[in-house]
Amino acid sequence: MALSIEELKAAILKKAESAPKPQLYIKDFYACDPDAKPRVVKNAANDLVKEGKMMFWSSGSTTMYAMKDRIKDEEGAGGVN
Amino acid sequence: MAKHETPLLDELEKGPWPSFVTDIKRQAEKNPDCWDILGQVELSYKEKITHWKHGGIVGVFGYGGGIVGRYSDMPKRFPGVEHFHTVRLAQPASKYYSTKHLRDICDLWEKYGSGMTNMHGSTGDIVMLGCRTEALEPFFYDLTHNLQQDLGGSGSNLRTPANCLGQSRCEWACYDTEEACHHLTMHYQDEIHRPAFPYKFKFKFSGCANDCVAAIARSDVAVIGTWRDNIRIDQAAVKEYVAGNIPSNGGAHAGRDWGKFDIKKEVIDLCPTGCMWMEGGELKIDDSECTRCMHCLNVMPRALRPGVDQGATICCGAKAPILDGAQFATLIVPFMKVSADNEFEELIEFIEKIWDWWMEVGKNRERVGETMQRIGLPTFIKVMELEPIPQHVKEPRSNPYVFWQEEEVPGGFSRDVDEFRARHAA
Repeated sequence: MALSIEELKAAILKKAESAPKPQLYIKDFYACDPDAKPRVVKNAANDLVKEGKMMFWSSGSTTMYAMKDRIKDEEGAGGVN
Repeated sequence: MAKHETPLLDELEKGPWPSFVTDIKRQAEKNPDCWDILGQVELSYKEKITHWKHGGIVGVFGYGGGIVGRYSDMPKRFPGVEHFHTVRLAQPASKYYSTKHLRDICDLWEKYGSGMTNMHGSTGDIVMLGCRTEALEPFFYDLTHNLQQDLGGSGSNLRTPANCLGQSRCEWACYDTEEACHHLTMHYQDEIHRPAFPYKFKFKFSGCANDCVAAIARSDVAVIGTWRDNIRIDQAAVKEYVAGNIPSNGGAHAGRDWGKFDIKKEVIDLCPTGCMWMEGGELKIDDSECTRCMHCLNVMPRALRPGVDQGATICCGAKAPILDGAQFATLIVPFMKVSADNEFEELIEFIEKIWDWWMEVGKNRERVGETMQRIGLPTFIKVMELEPIPQHVKEPRSNPYVFWQEEEVPGGFSRDVDEFRARHAA
């Protein structure tokens, strides 16, 4: 049975916090609820960005998701040097 | 006064063609940061390595696309390009602008960015090149509030849909490409502004097979205008072309003497399916063999016109060469009515069926054309709930095995082994 939206969001956050790689593709979150349609998982992940709990990282051609404190920030520590 | 010596780039100013180096130098007189573009590119030419860092977390609130982070890896040496983000602006259908709107956009970009633009990027957006992170939000506020102009798509989003001039200027457009493009742009705002897919996804709308937006080469779903009845022929105009009274190709080849117009050489013999001939001074066409390639209509536009039962051919899976080489789109639906009367319902249903499948089975950074190729056209056609047709077949089969689906075999795959062994000893 598919998780509720709030349960799905919690599972996504847990995955984003604990995954070895800090930045994840949307497909990496599909396993959070194998019964959910990909579009539902996408909407939940995008909601988490809207709520400020996760962030997008984009190369320009692909977009990835990450927790704020795990994301690769070109302007963060070490700056853009 | 140039800030950096650029002998290699200066070579690109020689010759009769326009030069981006000249353009940047001109802009650098207004905005000295632009000298650092030239300095960094000159260094890259010397060292044969890029000094741009691509990607980042830059964006504007509520959007997950439209801005591409770009930084210099030598910010101390080239501070003017320390941050040099790209902003994509959604072009209107057919790229019709007022000059006032373009001037306003340029003024805004001079205020917040480098002033450098690319008109247009390959997806069709206006591309604003070079701005600092802290300027993004104020630029976006003014852009949306004062100019009513939106950002385009980037990343794993639906990219800004693009279309040809369509029925606004072109007699060959077989459906209203502008209405289709605008309607789908508005319908899929969420998919354009926020990531939704394993990778990028593009629609393009061409009114006829001349395909002025290169939909068949550049888009995941190419909607290309066509007709399914007969080419309309004006035999009197055909005679005028043959007599040389009307210039062929609308006079496009008038700059040089190509000799007398020869309908056999220039039209009939070039028909890819050989479905045309002259008979009793009249042009005849076997329309059942015509592939709607547009060649004869292009050569004799006053004599030949598309039929009246118009719609579009839908092809899927084109892409530029990133992973697996460039590929053209594959024909999936030979004819579909494309109409605003039902709000493009059939087309939208088709697109969403592709998305549901691709989001499920597509790999990360895999375009839908690559998924189709990896999994196979027979599966894709089945997913799309279409019946295979001869036009789906590229070449005769080379695999001698025939694979049946269970529902195609009387009685399915289950069998009574004891009953079988009673007839066939082991």
